[in-house]
Amino acid sequence: MNGVLVGKRIIGAEAPVTIGWENIPRVEGGPIKQFIFTWFQPTMLFAMLAFWFYAPNSIAKASTAIYIGIGFKVLLLALEWVNPRFASWRLTWKELATDLFYVGLGYTLIRIMNSFIGSGVMIKAIQHAMHWDKATWFTGLPLLVQAFLISFIFDFGQYWMHRGMHNWYPLWLPHSVHHYITQLNINKGAVGNPVELFLIGLGVGGFFDFLPRAALMAGAFGLAIGTYQHINVRFNSPRWWRFLFNTTEHHSLHHSQDFEATRSNYAGSYIFIDRMFGTCVDGEAELLGLEGGRRMSIREQMTYPFTEGWKTMKEKYGRSAPAPMTEPAE
Amino acid sequence: MLRYIDWIWHIRGEVALPAEQSGEEAFDLLAPLFRQTGTSYDRYQDTLTFRKKDAAAQDKMSVFDSGVLRVENSVLRYDLISRALLYCFLAPLLFLGFAQAIITINDFQKPAAHGPAHTAGPPAKAKPKPKPAAKEAVSPMNPIDKALGAPAPDKPDGDDGDEEGPKSKKPSPTPAYVFAGIFVALYLIGRVLEDRLVRSLFRKAVAGT
Repeated sequence: MNGVLVGKRIIGAEAPVTIGWENIPRVEGGPIKQFIFTWFQPTMLFAMLAFWFYAPNSIAKASTAIYIGIGFKVLLLALEWVNPRFASWRLTWKELATDLFYVGLGYTLIRIMNSFIGSGVMIKAIQHAMHWDKATWFTGLPLLVQAFLISFIFDFGQYWMHRGMHNWYPLWLPHSVHHYITQLNINKGAVGNPVELFLIGLGVGGFFDFLPRAALMAGAFGLAIGTYQHINVRFNSPRWWRFLFNTTEHHSLHHSQDFEATRSNYAGSYIFIDRMFGTCVDGEAELLGLEGGRRMSIREQMTYPFTEGWKTMKEKYGRSAPAPMTEPAE
Repeated sequence: MLRYIDWIWHIRGEVALPAEQSGEEAFDLLAPLFRQTGTSYDRYQDTLTFRKKDAAAQDKMSVFDSGVLRVENSVLRYDLISRALLYCFLAPLLFLGFAQAIITINDFQKPAAHGPAHTAGPPAKAKPKPKPAAKEAVSPMNPIDKALGAPAPDKPDGDDGDEEGPKSKKPSPTPAYVFAGIFVALYLIGRVLEDRLVRSLFRKAVAGT
């Protein structure tokens, strides 16, 4: 495999990837199907933003957001059934059960962890120690600006956390588990070692004061854009959408079996952050995962960062003759 | 004892072989199902045993870890073991455990007035936290939002909802109960679905279709 030169890097020398929008297949089917799968993403985004902008205060609350989130994911699961991107990413009972186990952990275990040591707790402690108040000027901005800034600041932090995970071994260990997924489905974003899921959820948004409605709109940005990172649906995303926002195409490259390709597209929602820092590659991949696509069991996903870290420590500092270090995986 | 409950993770069944088909021929037709990544199998006379490790997601038998297939009197009998089904059966207990843990933690923290960091010691003296004046007033609204017709924000109740109150950010046990329920449903679906799928897989394989 020769790979393709993107900037100064050769992408796709180790595993097959498709580079360039012109080489990516389009939605197949009649004009109605084409229309739906071209305009679904922008319509949903604008509908959600409009809903949160105009919803009366009695409806505009977090519990409504949870129901919308669940309903939207069920709808997207149905779309996976109707218009899959790849037959090789079909959801099976075992995949669904595994994914839902991690979603369940996110709602329970990770929440417990967050309530003790999450960013909210830490920010509160810092504000208390430094006698800082929240940045209240923020609430005077237009709602949409507040919402965008909240989601952008979070995504910007997540970009660097994620990039750090791919470049610093101690952070890579917990994140590597997420890269053992071999297909993309709606709930795959939740799959990973709980340590990583906790780390990636850290943010600095708590330093700002904002209107509750703006926070709900920020959530809508995440739901209506970031969700498409992991999904088995083919869309003809409009040009402007894929220029600004992360897509399944971008994220499939990030998960591909090709090492160089995985070192790109780190942002969660806003791919233009990758464009700003030169890490964006436009393209897609079907063959995903590490170790040639080995599917890791949940048990191994739970212990892998620790056992692998221990192994590396032993190799580095152990008394026995040092074994050849494996390439820091990606 | 185990015999009475092992249906939880064992899937057993039988498929009649087409007329005149020998056990040898049937296993020849079934063999491709076991030529998968992470699968090892062994054929001895009228018995085939297999074992799987890290089966691929799209492996049609990925839900099983091991199993025995035997041909007796023109009937293929199988006994397959699935840890995925067992863990799915047990998952509700785990989530009920989480719910209990959340309740216990919340109860334990009740005496502490100021967040989770202070769990030990006598209850903190109820020192009312000075609130910024701006908090008491209705938050300002940008003229653009006003012009576009967004509803005005309510008067904020409580301090961000961070403290105990209706907007408390303390974890609630409800999601844990919901997931316990989801896994009960998932188990029932999986137990029936995977039973049917594997039966049809074997039937098609021995029929050569």
